[in-house]
Amino acid sequence: MERFADLLIAAVLLAGLYATMAYGLGLIYGVLRIVNLNHGGMIMAGAYAGWYVHETLGLDPYLSLLPVAAVSFFAGILVYRLLVRRLPRGAAGGVQSLLLLFGVWLIVRNAAYLLFSGNDQTLRTSYATRAVAVGPALVSVNRIAVFAVAIAILVILHLLLTRTYVGKAIRAVAQNPDSCTLVGISVERIYALTFGLGTALAAAAGLLGASLFPFNPTFGASELLKSFVVVVLGGLGSVAGTAIAALILALVEVFAIVVIPAYLTAAVGFVLLVLVLVVRPGGLFGQRVLG
Amino acid sequence: MKFRLPPWIRPRAAIALLVACVVLAIGPLLHEDVYVHNLLTLTFIGIAAALAWNWLGGYLGQVSFGHAAMFGIGGFVSARAELSVGAPMVLAWFIGGIVAGAFALVWGHPTLRLRGPYFSIATIGVGEATRLVCTYWDSFTGGSSGLSLPVHGDLKHTLYWYGLVLAALALAASYALRRSPVGLSLLAIKSDVEAASDVGVSSTRLQDLVLFLSGSTIGVCGGFYASYFSYIEPGDMFGFDRSISWVLMGVIGGIGTIAGPALGAIIFVLLRQYLIASYPQLYLGLYGLLLVLVILFEPLGLTGLFLRIVHRARPDLMVSGPVEEPLSATATPVAETREAK
Repeated sequence: MERFADLLIAAVLLAGLYATMAYGLGLIYGVLRIVNLNHGGMIMAGAYAGWYVHETLGLDPYLSLLPVAAVSFFAGILVYRLLVRRLPRGAAGGVQSLLLLFGVWLIVRNAAYLLFSGNDQTLRTSYATRAVAVGPALVSVNRIAVFAVAIAILVILHLLLTRTYVGKAIRAVAQNPDSCTLVGISVERIYALTFGLGTALAAAAGLLGASLFPFNPTFGASELLKSFVVVVLGGLGSVAGTAIAALILALVEVFAIVVIPAYLTAAVGFVLLVLVLVVRPGGLFGQRVLG
Repeated sequence: MKFRLPPWIRPRAAIALLVACVVLAIGPLLHEDVYVHNLLTLTFIGIAAALAWNWLGGYLGQVSFGHAAMFGIGGFVSARAELSVGAPMVLAWFIGGIVAGAFALVWGHPTLRLRGPYFSIATIGVGEATRLVCTYWDSFTGGSSGLSLPVHGDLKHTLYWYGLVLAALALAASYALRRSPVGLSLLAIKSDVEAASDVGVSSTRLQDLVLFLSGSTIGVCGGFYASYFSYIEPGDMFGFDRSISWVLMGVIGGIGTIAGPALGAIIFVLLRQYLIASYPQLYLGLYGLLLVLVILFEPLGLTGLFLRIVHRARPDLMVSGPVEEPLSATATPVAETREAK
C-alpha cells in the first residue's frame, strides 16, 4: 500500500513535466498544423542550457529557466522565419515540414555532440538529494519543485491564451486563419509567435527534465514521442485535457515499471499511442482546438 | 497468342533497366577490384532499401524515421533461420522479410489509418523501442555480442549478383507501384484520402499492402546484409543512423519519384565513403543540413533539378504532356516554381 502511494505521488509529479512538454508541441500543431520534430532537439537543448549555466556560473536551474526560455523563444522565431515559413501549406507542406524539422533536430543534436560529447550528464544542485515527507512517502524536493514550476507555466499559458488579446488571436488563427486575415490579424506574426512559444516551452520542459534525469545528446527522442501521446490523448491546446492526458501517461509509465522488465518501459509510450489511436483516435475529449 | 506487356510499361524504361543490369552483371567478370565490388554491393542494398522506403514515404507521403526496425528484424530472423533451423540462405532472407513485413503491419496498421503525422511520429518510437528490446533479448539476437553466421568460400563474391537482382527487382516494383493502376490509387490516397475512398479506392488495404511490401523488402535487405557481413549486432542493425540514411537517400534523389531514391542511394553511398567518413563527428549535422537544404530549395531532389534543367532546355517537352514525375502532392510543378521566381 505504501509502495502504491509512492508510485502515485511519483506519477502525479511526473505528469506536471509531461504536460508542459506536450503543451509546446500541441500549441504549434494546433495553430500551424505542423508537428515540430525539432521539439526533441529543443528539449535536449534546454537540458544542456540549464546544466551549462549551472556548471559555469553556478546559477540555479530554476533561476535560469526564464532566460533559457527567452532565448529559445527567439530561436524558435528564427527557425520559423528562416525555414518553416518557406514551406507550402497543406498536405505537401506536412511531409516537407517533418523532414525539414527533422533535419534541424539532427543539426542541433550534432552540435550537442560537438560541444558536450556524447556522455551522460546530470544536473547536480546542492539540494538534489534532499527529500521531504509527504504523508507516508518521501519525495525529493526537486520533483516537487519541477511539478510546481510546471503547473505555474501551464496556468500562465492558460491565462495568456484565454485572457489576453494575443492569446485570443492565437486561438482565432488556430480556428480559421483566412478569417483572421480578414479582420486584420497578422497571421504570419501569430505563426512566428506560436512557433517561438512552443519552442520556449520545449526548452523549459527540457531544463526541468534535466534536474530529474540524466541526459545526453539523444535526450528528447522519447520525450517527443511522449509529448505526442499526450497531445493525441488530450486533444489540442486544452490545458485541462493536456493535464489529464499527461497524468494518464505518467500513471501508465510509473506503474508499468512494476509489472514489466525495465528495458521494455521504452515501449510503453508507444504502446499507449497505438492503443489511443485504435480506441479513441479523436483523443479522450474529442477534437477541440485551443481554448 | 502474342505476349503483350501491360500498357503502363514503357518498353524504353524496361530496356534501360535490362541493359544496366546486364552491364553491371558482367562487370565483375571482366574486371576484378574488391573495393569497387564491395562498394557496388553495398550500393545495391542501399538502392533496394531506399526504394522500399520511398514506397511509403514518397508514394503515400508517410515518412518513416524507423525503418531500421524492419531491417534489423529481417536480419536477425534470417540469421536465426539459418543458424537454428538450417534454412538455405535465400529462403532465410524470405522468412526474415515476411516476418519484418508482418512486424511493420502490427504497429503500422493502426497508425496509418489516420491522416496526418501519426505514422511518422510512431516510427521514431518504434525504431528506438525495437532496438532496445532486441538488444536485451539475448536468446534471439545474441545481445550486444551479436550473431555470427558461417562464412563459406566465395559467398561475398557471389552475393554481388544477388544484390543486383534485389536492386533490380526493387526498381521494377517501384515502377509498377507508380505506373500501374495501383499507383494511381496510391496517388489518390496521398492527395486526398476521403476523395479517394469516395471513388472506391480502399485506402486501408492499399496502405497496408504498401507497408508490408516496404517492410518486407527492407527485411530482405537486412537478411542480405547479415549474410554479406556474416556478423550482425543489434546496435548496428537497428541503429538510428541507418533509418536516417534511407530518408536521406530518398530526399536527395527525389522523394516520391520512381528512380530518384536509387540515384540518391548511389550519391549517398559515395558521399558517405568519401566525405562523411573523414568527418565522423559531423555526420549527423551534415545529414541534417542536407535535408534542410534539399527540402527548402528543391523538394524533389536531384529529380527536380533534372526536370528543371530539361524544362529550361526544352520547354516544349514539358508543356505538351503531363509533367512526368511531380504528379505527387509533394511536388511543386516546375512551371509554378518558375513563375514564382
